[in-house]
Amino acid sequence: MVKSTSKDAQDLFRSLHSAYSATPTNLKVIDLYVVFAVFTALIQVAYMALVGSFPFNSFLSGVLSCIGTAVLAVCLRIQVNKENKEFKDLAPERAFADFVLCNLVLHLVIINFLG
Amino acid sequence: MMNLSRSVALISLFLLPFLSSSFSVDNPTDRRVLVLLDDLSLKSSHSTFFNTLKSRGFDLDFKSADDSKLALQRYGQYLYDGLIIFAPSTERFGGSLDSKSVADFVDSGRDLILSADTSASDLIRGIATECGVDFDEDSSAMVIDHSSFSVSDGDHTLIAADDLVKSDVILGKSKIEAPVLFRGVAHSLNPTNNLVLKVLSASPSAYSANPTSKLSSPPQLTGSAISLVSVMQARNNARVVISGSLQLFSDRLFRSGAQKSGSPDKYEKSGNEQFVTELSKWVFHERGHLKAGSLVHHRVGETDEPAIYRIKDDLEFSVEILEWSGKSWEPYVADDVQVQFYMMSPYVLKTLSTDKKGLFHTSFKVPDVYGVFQFKVEYEKLGYTTLSLSKQIPVRPYRHNEYERFIPTAYPYYGACFTTMAGFFVFSFVYLYHK
Repeated sequence: MVKSTSKDAQDLFRSLHSAYSATPTNLKVIDLYVVFAVFTALIQVAYMALVGSFPFNSFLSGVLSCIGTAVLAVCLRIQVNKENKEFKDLAPERAFADFVLCNLVLHLVIINFLG
Repeated sequence: MMNLSRSVALISLFLLPFLSSSFSVDNPTDRRVLVLLDDLSLKSSHSTFFNTLKSRGFDLDFKSADDSKLALQRYGQYLYDGLIIFAPSTERFGGSLDSKSVADFVDSGRDLILSADTSASDLIRGIATECGVDFDEDSSAMVIDHSSFSVSDGDHTLIAADDLVKSDVILGKSKIEAPVLFRGVAHSLNPTNNLVLKVLSASPSAYSANPTSKLSSPPQLTGSAISLVSVMQARNNARVVISGSLQLFSDRLFRSGAQKSGSPDKYEKSGNEQFVTELSKWVFHERGHLKAGSLVHHRVGETDEPAIYRIKDDLEFSVEILEWSGKSWEPYVADDVQVQFYMMSPYVLKTLSTDKKGLFHTSFKVPDVYGVFQFKVEYEKLGYTTLSLSKQIPVRPYRHNEYERFIPTAYPYYGACFTTMAGFFVFSFVYLYHK
């Protein structure tokens, strides 16, 4: 039983891996960026757990910048993905321009809130 | 002729303020002393004491206690700076003097030496009670000590006392080796009164009773509770010495040898003269009189006194204290003067360090509390005048542009925000130009 479940897990992982390598490169770049942003947010949460939440506004600002930019990157990925029927009429340049503008507003807000 | 006398009168009128010399803030030693005697032969029997006073520059005015022209004040001005009452049996003073006018005299800051003796009158007892000292109610009682009497005496009423208060200010720097001879009445001090002090106490074996009659009940005043000589320093720094024996000041006991019973030490001369001389120096403000300048405070690095401090400021505080040496103001040297930074309770209490020239200084950080504070120096040392100085100063919190610009604990968050921005910039380049 154990051997079969571990073999199943390995098979599952291999099939996921092969499916993922079929995705286009630009989507993989977006995924990498999202992972980087979430990772940065997790580091900040771990730091706050250690030293306490003293300048709470700075903590929120830092976490929001990471999570906000991750969310915007996910939106970009949805809009740019060719397999997505919902957005097939939307030009990918328009999606990218939205992404850039929203990020600019996000970073303006967090610098203001950073103190 | 008329013109000459008129001009002389006019000139003396102008000079009058300069001719009078009394004690003042700049020169606190008393000058003019009224001596009330009930028996004018005391002038000769206590001549050594009076002559030492005169040699130190005092103007002694000897008057009989029932002289009808006695007056302490004239037209609202006091005529004397000190009063010595050697009139234990006087029932009523003459002239305008009574126990109330003596109490007013002390209230005005002037000094008093009061001596009772056997058969002390109610008037003298009343004046002593005003100063916080209670004589034995039995008017025929004397202090008797069967183990601490002077060997030359027969009936154990001449006490050889050596239980002196330990104070260099009151009794002088040199130790009084020989015992002090005393024959008189006992008094006790109210234990709740913190202005009176026993200078010469009786030994634990002393008691107060009539020496000629048998004791019918245990004596009320016994042991070390009996005080032979006490002093009182009032809150306005007037000093009073109350003694239970007039013979303590007499020439006979000054010259007499002293040997305490049960002790092998025989002294050629009793300690009376040294004791009385040092005590008179203290009571007439020749010693132990302090004067303080104003409190000076400023921020570290500045010289002006600011109108308001901010929390966590560093400040320096100093005060100048001088001691009167009998002739001039000398710097006061001590290591126990303290300053409080006080608002309802002292937030900071520091001992001031001295530069040996009379300047006491310290520096500290203003506490992290805002409000209206006071610098307080409350100095009450045994035998010295009390110093009670205070200066008010407000303390404000930080203005909103006085906080630190970047908080060190938030540096990771600052770093994360800028890293994310850099990451976004790099990502958009890579996304646009990858192949």
